[in-house]
Amino acid sequence: MRWLGALLLLMGAASAEPQRILSLNLCTDQLLVDLAEPGQILGLSPFARDASRSWASEKVSRLPALSGTAEEAIALRPDLVVSSQYMKRETRALIAARGIKVVAFEDPATLAAARSQILEFGRLIGAESRAEARVTELDAAIADLRAASAASPRRVLPFSRRGWVAGRETLMADILREAGLINVAGEMGLSIGGFARLEAVVLLKPDLLLLTREPDRAEDQGQALLLHPALARLFPPEKRIVLRESLTVCGGPALAEALRKLAALLRNRA
Amino acid sequence: MTERTGQAGAGAPKAQRLWLVPALLGLVIALFLASLATGPVRLSVAELLAALLGKGDEAHRVILMDIRLPRAILAVAIGFMLGLAGAAMQGLLRNPLAAPSLFGAPQAAAFSAVVTISLGLNDALSWGLPIAAILGAFASVFLLVAIAGRNASLLLLILAGLAVSSLAGAGTALAMNLAANPFAALEIAFWLMGSLEDRSIRHVTLVLPFILVASVLLYLQRGAFRALSLGEEAAASLGVAVERLRFIVILGVALGVGASVAVAGTIAFIGLIAPHLMRPLVNHDPARLLLPAGLAGAALLLAADIAVRIIPAQSDIKVGVLTSIIGVPFFLLLIVRQRRSLAGGVA
Repeated sequence: MRWLGALLLLMGAASAEPQRILSLNLCTDQLLVDLAEPGQILGLSPFARDASRSWASEKVSRLPALSGTAEEAIALRPDLVVSSQYMKRETRALIAARGIKVVAFEDPATLAAARSQILEFGRLIGAESRAEARVTELDAAIADLRAASAASPRRVLPFSRRGWVAGRETLMADILREAGLINVAGEMGLSIGGFARLEAVVLLKPDLLLLTREPDRAEDQGQALLLHPALARLFPPEKRIVLRESLTVCGGPALAEALRKLAALLRNRA
Repeated sequence: MTERTGQAGAGAPKAQRLWLVPALLGLVIALFLASLATGPVRLSVAELLAALLGKGDEAHRVILMDIRLPRAILAVAIGFMLGLAGAAMQGLLRNPLAAPSLFGAPQAAAFSAVVTISLGLNDALSWGLPIAAILGAFASVFLLVAIAGRNASLLLLILAGLAVSSLAGAGTALAMNLAANPFAALEIAFWLMGSLEDRSIRHVTLVLPFILVASVLLYLQRGAFRALSLGEEAAASLGVAVERLRFIVILGVALGVGASVAVAGTIAFIGLIAPHLMRPLVNHDPARLLLPAGLAGAALLLAADIAVRIIPAQSDIKVGVLTSIIGVPFFLLLIVRQRRSLAGGVA
């Protein structure tokens, strides 16, 4: 048995990049699935297969989705654990105490931060070239989006359940800024984010509402707001843009697709 | 059966305050108009009138007719229902501290509604939601009245109510705990606070039929409440079928409170405060209390719902939070006033 351990140790030394990687967060799941070799992936977070949130949900069906608990992470003996900065402190401490490397990633608040995060992740797992290809794709998508919105800069309100409007320190606000669109949240005094009053939305009448899903079903009162007759009257389908949550919730590899989709929708609504 | 028991009453007959109901009606109408004029967007009287007549700016019309009008209608209907339900419960249990919210009816209604939403049986705008909430409220009030039995002592009622509402609260917490949707816990928490914000005409159609039926049911029992104030034996000798009365009141309270919870969440203490404020004005007559208590409830909820829009705050204050903040000290005051009878009276 000892020689087997020595051999594994040698192999580990030969290839510097981690070979047994565990992700405990929805967003690092996506980066990992997109950039790593399938053999490097030891397990993903419990949300990886949730099609409504996970961009990578189709690709991960063969990969193990875990519970996200410390004991499971320790039992699997990973050589790298990736997660978000919002990972539970206790979980992180338990894993790190076993000598396992834990890297926590921030949620990028700008396109620039998202860009450098993809590169950083690629370096971490030894997938630099794939990461660079992703960034090139992202840059092309940004340019395409600018071209799409340059024709007519429009007033857009990103509007979620309960009327939540993302603040300027968020990726969504930065996408709108980069695209040259006017974010109506500023006119509402919600530049740091908050709940938009329905009356204010009606009064300020943005050109487009940016939603995260088609308002089809009112599973709760927060979602019912998106079905309010006042919004239905003033914002018919041609004044709405739907960008699925799974495309925008993380600043990872899904971003290029999100921007291309947004550009196409803007051209469509011109 | 219900109308010939007029001689019974708590005190000697005094002058009837015939102005009471018209005055309350006037107050409700004034507050209703004030509610239409209140909101984050300031509209002048001229703009409001134009919007009301279907003229003027489209945005103003939408704000008035689609956003503020449903909200004001809901405040009147739900406030009336809560006040009336409180007065009816107090009449049935012959106790001024009885109110649906103290006995866990809204919590049970919320639990039942949350469970059906979590299971995907209902959504926030489907008819199944008020029906589920009504069943939950019915079960809780039925359980409570069954536990309290014939000679309900206050201690027994309060303890049973505490148990029922704790159980419903624990069930709701479990549903939040198990929810797959990360927003569900937040939505349930907001809902439990009770709010009328951004409701639409669809919510009005969802709740109004139930409130109308419940109000008629409860109002028709007014004579029986008066007879009951003499004690159950006396009421029975006056021709009141007490078991039947009990069932009708439970049904009426469950219909009204359950449907209200389904669209507005839990709004507490209106059912306690409104009847209490009106009781001295009707000479403590449980029969004449019902209508004024309902109107006072409507006025209170309208006023609270105007206040939450006027009070400056980062985020909007939920109206149910405000009624609780006002209601709990009021409840304590009632307890202090009744301290002597509470200390000696519980058997």
